[in-house]
Amino acid sequence: MTRAAAIEKALSYFDDGGYLAELGPRIAIPTESQNPDRLPVLRDYLEQEMIPAFEAMGHDCQVFENPDSSGGPVLLASRIEDPSYPTVLGYGHGDVIRGQKGRWKNDRDPWTIEQDGDRIYGRGTADNKGQHILNMAAMRHVLETRGSLGFNSKFMIEMGEENGSAGLHQIVSENPNAFAADVFIASDGPRISPDTPTIFLGARGAKNFDLVVDLREGGHHSGNWGGLLANPGIILAQALTTIVGPTGELLVKELLPPPISNSVREALSGITIDAGENGPEIDPDWGAPGLTSAERVYAWNIFEILTLTTGNPGNPVNAVPPRARAHCQFRFVAGTNSEEALDILRRHLDDHGFDQVKIEPPPSGNAINFKATRTPLDDPWAVWVKGAIERTKGSPPALLPSLGGSICNDIFTDILGLPSIWIPHSYGACSQHAPNEHILLSEFRDAIEVMTGVYWDLGEDGTPS
Amino acid sequence: MSRQAAIERIDSYLSDGGFLDDLARRVAIHTESQEDSQIGELHRYLDDEMEPYLKDLGFNCVKFENPVDGGGPFLIATRHEGDDLQTVLSYGHGDVVRGYDDQWNEGLSPWEIVKEGDRWYGRGTADNKGQHTINIAAMKAVLEERGSLGFNVKILIETGEERGSPGLREFCRAEADKLKADVLVASDGPRLSPARPTIFMGSRGVFNFTMRLNMREGGHHSGNWGGLLANPGVILTHAISSIVSPKGEVLVEGLRPPGPIPNSVRAAITNLEIDGGEGAPEIDPNWGEPGFTAGEKVFGWNTFEVLAFTTGTPNKPVNAVPPTAEAVCHIRFVPPTDPNGFLPAVREHLDANGFSMVELSPDRECLNATRLDPDHPWAKWVVASLEETSGNKIDVLPNLGGSLPNDAFSEILGLPTIWVPHSYASCSQHAPNEHILESVSQNALQIMTGLWWDMGAGNTPR
Repeated sequence: MTRAAAIEKALSYFDDGGYLAELGPRIAIPTESQNPDRLPVLRDYLEQEMIPAFEAMGHDCQVFENPDSSGGPVLLASRIEDPSYPTVLGYGHGDVIRGQKGRWKNDRDPWTIEQDGDRIYGRGTADNKGQHILNMAAMRHVLETRGSLGFNSKFMIEMGEENGSAGLHQIVSENPNAFAADVFIASDGPRISPDTPTIFLGARGAKNFDLVVDLREGGHHSGNWGGLLANPGIILAQALTTIVGPTGELLVKELLPPPISNSVREALSGITIDAGENGPEIDPDWGAPGLTSAERVYAWNIFEILTLTTGNPGNPVNAVPPRARAHCQFRFVAGTNSEEALDILRRHLDDHGFDQVKIEPPPSGNAINFKATRTPLDDPWAVWVKGAIERTKGSPPALLPSLGGSICNDIFTDILGLPSIWIPHSYGACSQHAPNEHILLSEFRDAIEVMTGVYWDLGEDGTPS
Repeated sequence: MSRQAAIERIDSYLSDGGFLDDLARRVAIHTESQEDSQIGELHRYLDDEMEPYLKDLGFNCVKFENPVDGGGPFLIATRHEGDDLQTVLSYGHGDVVRGYDDQWNEGLSPWEIVKEGDRWYGRGTADNKGQHTINIAAMKAVLEERGSLGFNVKILIETGEERGSPGLREFCRAEADKLKADVLVASDGPRLSPARPTIFMGSRGVFNFTMRLNMREGGHHSGNWGGLLANPGVILTHAISSIVSPKGEVLVEGLRPPGPIPNSVRAAITNLEIDGGEGAPEIDPNWGEPGFTAGEKVFGWNTFEVLAFTTGTPNKPVNAVPPTAEAVCHIRFVPPTDPNGFLPAVREHLDANGFSMVELSPDRECLNATRLDPDHPWAKWVVASLEETSGNKIDVLPNLGGSLPNDAFSEILGLPTIWVPHSYASCSQHAPNEHILESVSQNALQIMTGLWWDMGAGNTPR
């Protein structure tokens, strides 16, 4: 009954195909939370897969119905061994973005896992089914090896993260005791490189919205009317160029964060971003000038055009189009005045003569609105998790103040008041929100080692009190 | 036997239902040239409708196959009265855009004429069956009144205008002898205002091209990659914004006309009142070339439009940096702008402004810009005839704002070109509910009868 034995067992399970055998049937459930038709499927994932798995690990399962009719149910699985033990809240999301079937290479089915060398393809392999399934397996091997966990486990599985975690804030706010814990430890997002274990302590926030120029009913013949009727596509393009520069710099000063602190700058100083094999090539001249790549992603704000449409792109006609719409995103770090972001943008547009550009809510299928959060770099739990990973791997993990992406971390930090420690298992080029989503077997093998060690140590003495 | 009597004849043609009968028969033929399956209907329009009608008027008719595969046939109808008489070439197109049958208002059908008040609905009523029907009927009235026309006529009917007039230029080049004439007088497009006749003598050209950015394969999560990967949508909005100002002013020198608007053209267009009629869009007075009147903007200058723009997956948006962006753009241009200079000018401009990653490609065939000086003797002669019939001043456009294959006539055949449009701007010509106004058609029948009468009266320019 040792730490090494638990890790050994977990690795055998992984190498003998146990992990893929658990992953396959769960990927096969098409839990697209942005697709209203899939609402019943979200419940299936909990009832058919999660609840039996947690019950087998001695967890009591409670399902919270979602107060938001567009959101799926939320599972809380709890195993309380002793009130004096530390309680760890885990988290995963069982929903995925749209499958985008038909757009995958080799016509792969997003709902069937398929191995190609080191890669395992399938929607949700990286984001997030593969990650919480791995953590559950690591915890199970600790339980089986030690006979108990040695800590109290609460594990939440939500089914709406890709659609902005609808209803989750309300569920947790209304049931603070059910979700109460001492620390939050969970997995989502990418490592900074596939072979570098990584911790991040918060997440950038994100707010999606649309900018719309709607000038009139219908298109008008560009020969008869060109030069007389304002073109909404041109106006919208011009308005956007006042918000974001030609090399991606966010130009609206009030939407920028305070200067990067020395401790954050120091934490990021050694970090290079490595997309892994076949990752996209970084454009060194893109983004905020004077910052390193790591600072751009983990410590700064960005404005993206996610989609822009005017006219009829599939079948263009010679007409002045009547309207143009850009679906936009603002990502921001903790410390940004994000509550007022849309008011700031409104003033900015008005000041630049673009009162014709309206700010509208985003389409409901892509309506994310996340707060930015950050647990301090010197938080005792952060230091402790760092040590636990170092005990397993022999060297400390990379420590990021914040994830580049966004998660509902404010539920844990703000509502539950927990230090939040994220240990991601994916990598940058995993195509997680695109066709060809995949994970790397070598990286996940490393991750099960890391997680088994962390869960083992949580049951030992020496955790922060 | 008088001009007035000829005009009274054409009034009866309308009031006795002759115009409705002729037009209804023609509208009933489904000449949708954008549908390959309707090629038989294109032939039927010439064989069953145009030829018999024109033969009755003493025309000699010859049908020609299109030199371009898949293009519809041409008809040349000739009535030769004397070697020493003027020869007029007229033109019409028997094809129409798609019917869009199920999108018309309740009770309407594209293939039959339905009258509602002043409006006559039906596909092709405005574009172009109604217009050449008016012109030929007016010739018939003159012929019946005078016993002869007093001039020679060649009528060219094509059946592929709505798919870009395939083969028209090759055909005109090959049959230049058969189409030889002194002047082109034809009808298509809208009047400036329904209340007054308009003539135009050319058209703006149109050049379509695509601006495209292809940064990488696939989208990448905007949280992990936002700030590290260049966003093609952002770059393309900047590239476009460097070409055209927030008010629609064209900023690239090579896309603007090479010189100021000529004085004679300016005199004709400066004070033109643009009235699209009922249902027309509201003009944005602050859009377009600064300091120009509406007439100068549409008829005297070049415009740059973004016709369509797309980046990302607008129907199913995801939180990813999109990999590609594309804008379909076009330039409407007036003579003497050389469209061959457009792409090189845009290329040079984009490179100079740091947008060398934006790829450019021309789209369809360019339509050249053509124009006749408003002081040309034929222009003045037609204006005088139309003003005599209508009793007041008419609108004279050196060129139409839209684009026509007029270069086939002005450049290949070398003719002065005068167009007398019988439609109006809100006629829905390329949309459901296409219609003409009976009041405008009555006036059009009268002015064309007067014009053909005057053409045979012996005082035309030489």
